[in-house]
Amino acid sequence: MKQMNTEEPQLNKSRRSFLQLLPLGVFAGVFASIGGAAFRFLRPRLSAPSDQWLDVAGVSELTGPQPIAKKVLAEHVSGWVITNEAHNVFVLPAKNNQVLSPICPHEGCEVSWEQARNRFACPCHESFFAADGSRISGPASRGLDALPARVQNGKLQVQYRVNPDQETHA
Amino acid sequence: MSGPAESVSPKHQNRLGAWLQTTGGIVAALLLVQFLTGLLLAFYYVPSVDHAHTTVSFIEKVVSSGSWLRSLHHYGSQWLALFAFLHVARLFWDEAYLYRKAYWIAAIVLLFLVMAGAGTGYSLPWDARAFFSTRVAEGLMGGLPLAGRFARLWLLGGSEISTITLSRFFALHVLVTPFLIHALVAWRVLRTRCWSNLNRNAIASGLVFVALAVWCWKFPAPLGPAVETATADYLPRPGAQFLWLYQTLKHVPGAVGSIVGVVLPGIGLAILVALPWLRMRRRLIGGLLLGAFALWVSTMTVAAHLSDRRDPRTRDQLARQAQQEANWRREPFTPIKLGSPVAATQGGNSNDPPALYVKFCVDCHGPHGEGARRGNLNFPPLLGVAAKPHRTVDDIVGLLKDPPAYGLQPPMRSFNDKLSEPQMREIAQWVVQLKR
Repeated sequence: MKQMNTEEPQLNKSRRSFLQLLPLGVFAGVFASIGGAAFRFLRPRLSAPSDQWLDVAGVSELTGPQPIAKKVLAEHVSGWVITNEAHNVFVLPAKNNQVLSPICPHEGCEVSWEQARNRFACPCHESFFAADGSRISGPASRGLDALPARVQNGKLQVQYRVNPDQETHA
Repeated sequence: MSGPAESVSPKHQNRLGAWLQTTGGIVAALLLVQFLTGLLLAFYYVPSVDHAHTTVSFIEKVVSSGSWLRSLHHYGSQWLALFAFLHVARLFWDEAYLYRKAYWIAAIVLLFLVMAGAGTGYSLPWDARAFFSTRVAEGLMGGLPLAGRFARLWLLGGSEISTITLSRFFALHVLVTPFLIHALVAWRVLRTRCWSNLNRNAIASGLVFVALAVWCWKFPAPLGPAVETATADYLPRPGAQFLWLYQTLKHVPGAVGSIVGVVLPGIGLAILVALPWLRMRRRLIGGLLLGAFALWVSTMTVAAHLSDRRDPRTRDQLARQAQQEANWRREPFTPIKLGSPVAATQGGNSNDPPALYVKFCVDCHGPHGEGARRGNLNFPPLLGVAAKPHRTVDDIVGLLKDPPAYGLQPPMRSFNDKLSEPQMREIAQWVVQLKR
């Protein structure tokens, strides 16, 4: 320390202010190196929309003018769990078995079919959709979205996705 | 930054002495590392016996930088324990207990909290090491004089180790201990009127951090097999800061373990805290305590390493475990299947267990070979059992005849008198195709 004291008067101003920055620099270094890793660590994990074809029902049982509510079972891998989720979909036999997603294009609540009034109603913000899925009224900007569907061995199958616009990410 | 010399005790009026005064800065930097990495790990970790090991595996195998951050947290805690002790020793050398009581007491309480944080943290990954470390904590608490029974029950949250225990350790580790450490550091910082020797502290702590970062980049933190897949021959080894305790417990008879492992260090810390108020021979008492502790810890740590090296069977088993862990690291991550109503319907009936399995095995190993836990009995899952060594169809037939020959312990019993060999074979053929 004694040597240090004798040196001190010789320190010019810029060196002194550099020395004062040193603790800050070390702090910033620790923070930045862990912070850089933290950015990678916390980066959201994009999952590709499933291209699984899920059985909806046999084509023969899908008849009539009304939309038919069905459940499809899908396996989701999210993070460290695989979950089996049942999703509601609506089949329109009148529209060549088009399959509608029940998710309201407004804010994402699930619509239900009102048999008495022949329409889909969103429970959240009162958007209404006709039996073919087209928009009647309310804050939703478009009709209900159709899901990719096909018929395989007499069974109607669908690819379920929450957001039909979602492109496939690698 | 006013005159560093005035705050330095007369003993350290040289350059080396000033460098020895940097333990506080190093401890602060390591605490910062623990805080940041712990916070990040909490983004993925789930404190539940059915998720803990999987989420830690997820951090290790899937998340970018996860292995490095977890390694920083793991080895950082060991370095922190070392430097927290060196900090106490340095303050003692400076006679801080005479003229800076607050710093002195803060350093000792910090050492205690760092060890408490490490002790609770070791349980969290819920691998075989974690399980045994929880068992040892249970035993140490249970053996305490007078309050042992209550200490054990309160620590476990019940009469045995369960998911409640893991939740408790989690809350103690991520909320209680860090809160106390923060409060202590804040108090210590607020009482500091003049910051001396700041640059040396900065340089030293920066160097220690770089060394730790490189170390952790080279060596991932260990993770043993999940509790339910660990075999009976698994040898758990604690982290470096608890090796002394582990080795000591080998040498003392059961009931004395708690006295030696908990009560004695506790009394030692209490005397050190009280040192400023002792009237006589402070230097001698403190020096003896710190010296004896350092000697004890280093001797026992070296002895723990040596005894693992010397015994060939232990050495081989530890090498085997290291190899298994290396293999496990190369395997891809496997997520947990959550309650699967679908699997039951979609999986079809092709994989129903044979009737004999339902009759003899299902009670313990579950209708799908998923295993079970009843009380403190752990019935291992049969899922994926074929991936383990010595579990071919022939082995399983042999195992059903004579479980001890395959290293299995009761309650697994021999079925020699209940099943014919073809019947055993039928069960074995069904068991080997079970996938995790």
